[in-house]
Parts: sequence; structure tokens; C-alpha cells
Amino acid sequence: MDILSQQLFNGLTIGSVYSLVALGLTLVYGILHIPNFAHGAMYMLGAYVTLTMMLLWGIHYWLAMAVSVLVVGLLSVLMERLVFHPLRNAPPIHDKIAAIGILLFLEALAQLIWGADYRSMGTPYGEVINLFGLTVTMQRVLINVGAVVVMLLLYLFLKKTMVGSTIIAMAQNREGAHLVGINTNKVAMLTFLISGGLAAIAASLAAPINLVFPGMGHLVILKAFVIIILGGMGSIPGAILGGYILGFSESLGATYLSNDYKDIIAFLLLVIILSFRPKGLFAREGF
Amino acid sequence: MLELKGLSVAYGSFTAIESIDVLVQKGEIVVLLGSNGAGKSTTFKAISGLEKPRQGEILFEGKSIGGRSPGRIVESGIVQCAEGRKLFPKMSVSENLIMGAYVHRKNKKAIKHSIKHVYELFPILYEKKENAAGSLSGGQQQMLAIGRALMAKPKLMLLDEPSIGLAPLIVEQMFEVIQQINEEGTTILLAEQNANAALGIASKGYVFESGSIVVQGTSEELLSDDSVRKAYIGA
Repeated sequence: MDILSQQLFNGLTIGSVYSLVALGLTLVYGILHIPNFAHGAMYMLGAYVTLTMMLLWGIHYWLAMAVSVLVVGLLSVLMERLVFHPLRNAPPIHDKIAAIGILLFLEALAQLIWGADYRSMGTPYGEVINLFGLTVTMQRVLINVGAVVVMLLLYLFLKKTMVGSTIIAMAQNREGAHLVGINTNKVAMLTFLISGGLAAIAASLAAPINLVFPGMGHLVILKAFVIIILGGMGSIPGAILGGYILGFSESLGATYLSNDYKDIIAFLLLVIILSFRPKGLFAREGF
Repeated sequence: MLELKGLSVAYGSFTAIESIDVLVQKGEIVVLLGSNGAGKSTTFKAISGLEKPRQGEILFEGKSIGGRSPGRIVESGIVQCAEGRKLFPKMSVSENLIMGAYVHRKNKKAIKHSIKHVYELFPILYEKKENAAGSLSGGQQQMLAIGRALMAKPKLMLLDEPSIGLAPLIVEQMFEVIQQINEEGTTILLAEQNANAALGIASKGYVFESGSIVVQGTSEELLSDDSVRKAYIGA
């Protein structure tokens, strides 16, 4: 029982990170139908920027994370302007190729700047606490709470503000958004800004319990794709639910099946769920 | 109010409309007639800024608006209610209407006032205001599309085939409402295949055939024109 509840908590923690990454991916897909493979690189850069801020200038963890959100968010917008926007009328395969190209480029760049070493990130929240009989570190609690707070803020932004509604409107009907006078270029940039910011938050939260290295985005982005395919491409609730489903199955699978094969669980899950629901858990059509 | 001068639009090497001239005076209802693919929707897309003109000019209130972004064109007072309605299917009726007032988003009071006006024009939308737009019937969706366009307080409204796929009784209501909107001060440019009903409320019309205007005249002239009668009225 003890192991089970400990693993459930771990699943929740991993799931929180997955959900945040998948949310950024699904937002961009919902609006522009671009499968943004470079999102994994944004995640990696998010961790590096936070780490660098903390080591180089001794900035506090939270402040470093804020800087990282800003830097990665703006990089993400830059990527949209320089790469995806010029490709808007090209066949869809070009977006995919470009996205993979950006991923490889940014990884090589990170290796050039920071080297290929595995680094660990310190956190001011390293203390171990007792939570309802579970022994957990403060950082893990922070990941869970942080993710929920970010998701709530995102929900309120999308549903309750006019600017947020433009994102939803564009996802539901691009031409309709044009016709009511929404500037779809601005919405695309805003979406990339949010998407990059989410990746930076996820990476900065998760880095202290993992390691930071140039290839850290690989497995995360692959799993995030599994999640949004499971949840229904472009669906927001699908991305959140899918993230937690994957988190739980991985941590339980690692304990009760095999720790060595835990990374394969995501893909097994994909095969099983798509066999029964080919369109994913939530059918798409704009959030 | 709106003047198209020698307007041409092309998709790649295919010329969709070639050198057309259209004049719409303030307060009028003008109808563009023609079969599918004749160039009516392309003309509308060019006016709304969704397609760039290859040649020619689009003048609105004396200023050239060709090449402006769709958003700027809505702000200047031209709103299109497109064929296929282009609603936001998962948003509720009232959310769709609020999005229609996007260009007036800073003026909450005006939005409230416009919504009230739309609900007066279409009481059924008030009854269904919490329902998702995608769950409405075809006629109700068309009403919502017109209502959403009205929310932007247009000076000129472009209506692309509002009667398509609707029951005759609903079509009649739709044309009554269009006439009412016009009487309240909105100039209307209407694209239709239902020539009889459209010419009944319009002051003049243009007939499109494979990208060019082949006949034009007042509604009376067109209704008595033999070739128009044969092609579009079936008598």
C-alpha cells in the first residue's frame, strides 16, 4: 500500500510535467495544425536558461524561471516568424521537416554553448516533508501545485478574456476569425509565446528532479506527441488528461512491470487506445 | 460607397474574376447573381481582404482598401457574412455574437446594446443563447451568422448566399430580415442564386458568368430581361 501511494504520487508528478508540455504542443496544433517537433528543444532550452541564470548570476529559482519563460516564449515567437509563417502556404510536410530541423539545430546550439555534460539543477525546495504519510521532497509538491495553478490560469485566460477567446475562435474556424476582424498573425504569435512559456515552466519545474542535457527534450516531446494523439489532436482537456494517464501508467508500470521498459509504456498505450478510439479520447474540432 | 474598378483576382494561373466593375451606393441593396463558380464569392473575398486583387481597385468611401488586412477592413466598416456561415461551432450563441463585436471589444456597453438588438431581430437566438452554435439548425445558424456580422456595426454588409440550403419559408423570413437591416441604415451587397427573391428586395443587380459581369441593370430591367429570366428564374 505504501509503495502504491508513493508511486501514485510519482505518477501525478510526472503527469503534471507531461501535461504542461503537451498543452503547449496541442495549442499550436489546434491553431496552426503544425506538429511542432521543436517544442522538445524549447523544453530543453527552458531548463538551460533557468540553470544558467541560477549558476551565473545567482538569481533566485523563481526569478530564473520567469526569465526562462520570457526568453523561451520569445524564441518560440521568433521561430514562428522566421520559419513557420513563411511556410504557411506550403504543403504540410514542409512544416514537419522545418520543425525537425529547428529541433536538431537548437540541440546542436545547446551543445555548443553548454557542452554535452549532464548537469543537475539545485533548488531551494530540496527538503523532505511528510505529506499524509508519504515521504516526498518539497520540489515534487511544487511541481504538482505549480502545474495545476498554470493550467487554471490558462483556462481562465482562454475562457474569460477576449484575447484568450481569439485563440479558441481561430482554432474553431480560421476564416470565421478573419471575418470578425481578428488578426490571425497576432494570434499565431501569441499562441507560440504561450506554448514556449509552458515548455519553459515545465522544464524549470522538472529539472531539479531530473538532469539537464542537450538531448533531454527527445523523450519528452515523443511522449507529448503520444499524449496529444491519445487525447485527440488539438484538444486541451485531452492533453491534460492524457498527460496524467501517461504519468500514472509509467510510474505504476515501472514498479509492477519493469523499470527498464517504462519508456515503452507510452507507446503501448498509444497502440491500445487508438485500436479502440481511432480519433483519440476527445475528438478534435477546436478545444 | 463601394466601388470596384477593373478588379481581377487569380488563384495561381486560374483567373477567378476578370476586370469587373461594381458600384454600390449608400443605403442600397445590390445583388450579385450567378451560378456556382461564377466569381461571386471570390469578389466578396477580395473586398474582405481574404484574397489579394491581381489588378484593379477597391474603393470604400473614396479610399482604396485593396490589400488591407481583413481586420482593418472590418474596422473600416465592411463585414462579410460568408457562405458556409463560418461560425465558431463549439462556442455558444452568445459567445459567437460577442466575438462578432471583436473590433468594438473596448466598448462593453455598445456590445450589450448590439446583442439586445440582434436578439430582437432573431428571438430564436435569444432562446438558444446558451446552446453551442454547431447544434443549431441550418436556418438558425444562418441567423446567427447574420447576427454575428451585425455585431460589428457594419456600414456595408456582404451577404454570401444566405438562402442556400434553407426551407422556402425560412428563406422568406431571411429576406424580410435583410430588408429590415437595410432600412435601419446598413448598405447591403448580396450574392444569390435565388434571383427572384433577391431582385425582389434589391434596387439593382449584376449577373456573373465565368468570372465576368455579363448583364447589369436595375431589378426591373433584370427581371424583364429574357436571358436572365431563362438562366436564373426558370420562366
